[in-house]
Amino acid sequence: MQTPENRSKCRSRVLISGASGGLGKAFAVECASRGWDLFLTDMNAPALETLAAGLRRSYNVDVITHACDLTDLDARLALFERIRVNSLRFWCLVNVAGIDYEGPFFEQSSQQIRTILRLNIESTLDITHAMLKFRDPCATFRIINVASLAAFYPMPVKATYAASKRFLLDFSLALREEVRSMGATVTVLCPAGMPTTPLCIEAIEAQGWMGHITTMDTGRVADKTLNAALAGRPMVIPGWVNRTLQLLGSIVPARLVAALVGSRWKSAQQKRSLDKQPAMP
Amino acid sequence: METRISEKTVVVTGATSGIGLAVAEELVRSGASVIGIGRSAERCAAAQAGLHRLNPEPWVAYLTADLSVQGEVRGLGNQVRDLLDTWNRQALDGLVNNAGTFSYWLTLTADGVELQWAVNHLAAFLLTNTLLPMLQAAPLARVVTVSSGSHYNARLDWNDLQLRRHYNGLQAYGNTKLANILFTREMNRRLGEESTVRAFAADPGLVKTDIGMKGTPGIVSWVWKLRRSGGITAAEAARGICYLLTEPSIQDVPSSYWKHGQPKAASHEAQNCLNAARLWKISSQMCGLPVEECYANA
Repeated sequence: MQTPENRSKCRSRVLISGASGGLGKAFAVECASRGWDLFLTDMNAPALETLAAGLRRSYNVDVITHACDLTDLDARLALFERIRVNSLRFWCLVNVAGIDYEGPFFEQSSQQIRTILRLNIESTLDITHAMLKFRDPCATFRIINVASLAAFYPMPVKATYAASKRFLLDFSLALREEVRSMGATVTVLCPAGMPTTPLCIEAIEAQGWMGHITTMDTGRVADKTLNAALAGRPMVIPGWVNRTLQLLGSIVPARLVAALVGSRWKSAQQKRSLDKQPAMP
Repeated sequence: METRISEKTVVVTGATSGIGLAVAEELVRSGASVIGIGRSAERCAAAQAGLHRLNPEPWVAYLTADLSVQGEVRGLGNQVRDLLDTWNRQALDGLVNNAGTFSYWLTLTADGVELQWAVNHLAAFLLTNTLLPMLQAAPLARVVTVSSGSHYNARLDWNDLQLRRHYNGLQAYGNTKLANILFTREMNRRLGEESTVRAFAADPGLVKTDIGMKGTPGIVSWVWKLRRSGGITAAEAARGICYLLTEPSIQDVPSSYWKHGQPKAASHEAQNCLNAARLWKISSQMCGLPVEECYANA
């Protein structure tokens, strides 16, 4: 008979980074509801523990948590060491961890810019490289990278973030061809804004009707993306409005798109800063 | 056998505003002791001060807890017991599962549960189960869960109870209110006819509260403001709930669903006892309670 202990040893898992944030949590819940065993990492240790306990309770799956700061090389090495020592195996990797400090480039601190690059690019590549070693030899290895709709355009006010997501988009599409012969697939997710935190919801509201029609629920996005990854599809853009925007973005010259996006975001930002000011007496 | 109203103790969730506060006011006015539960310490303190001004006689206390977090709901068990000990009371005579929320977008709680499902249904389910031993210690106790007429359009999708794949705020709200009634029915069935604890689901009608303003974008709260202008006041709604809490003669009335102190037929879906049993099992699992627990002989 299978006990939980030996089951947890012989079943390969899904690794999700940034698992206690909005989209990461949605992926974790979706995977757990499909009965898949998990390995979750995030910076926020208490939130990670609460989520893992909830998933074990609700879906009776095996969940391992590892709280760490992925921008730190030593922390990443410790993570890989733990996986190696426990001889864990994975059949799916979901790279969700990512960050953006919105604001004009020169107003951001150099520390913030380094963090964006380290988390969005360096750590994602590092984890993908390591996990290819720890993949389950008996299964097709599914990699899901979370880019963004921002990956398709140069975006003023989110310049570093959008460019880092472009990096992930191109990298994912190229890697997909490389790892095909290893029995692995790469799916890149390019979502628009999602209502994950009060701050995100505020940002969506500030964009007005445009924000509303481009926004999709995290639950549906996670569900669709996992189905697409299982089918081995290269790219997921949730929502037909967003697909149309992507198409337009690929036809219109990049510098024109940048100017257009810039004017939209500037007005949205102005509206938000106006909202924050106390009402006139 | 009967406890006088001034010796009764009632727990009310979401008791800092709206229907919950009105129920607490009504209870305090009639001399009952109240343990209110709210999310913000600030609003709890304000509500407590208000109740004290209304009638300084009975005991009134507020406990702060975020009902969307199951750990905090579980923690309320010991806190309520401690309060009863300090007031020298042996039992709880009532629990009002009133706290409810609305969310336009799919939002997941810290436990990974859809927000409305967690607060409107699971928190009521878990808190009732946690406080049940204290309720059973009373000669007569009532559990009133505030449901809503929005349950009439609801139908549970057993493959996606929390609507994670096709989320619609209003539909999710209706589902949780349907779940409130199914929970109430199954609880009564499990407790058995001889039980001193009786559960009711109350339909408060359309009440002028701020529920449609919680986590909604501009246009939705505007529609809600327009709609609620035709509603009744929270105090009127509270009267129906207090009736269910205190009226001794309705103990043996089989109806689980009540509106303004009158039994009412709930929707077809809400009367399906197989659904009720199924929901109870799933909810137990989601809250980490023993799945086959049964109170028939309690």
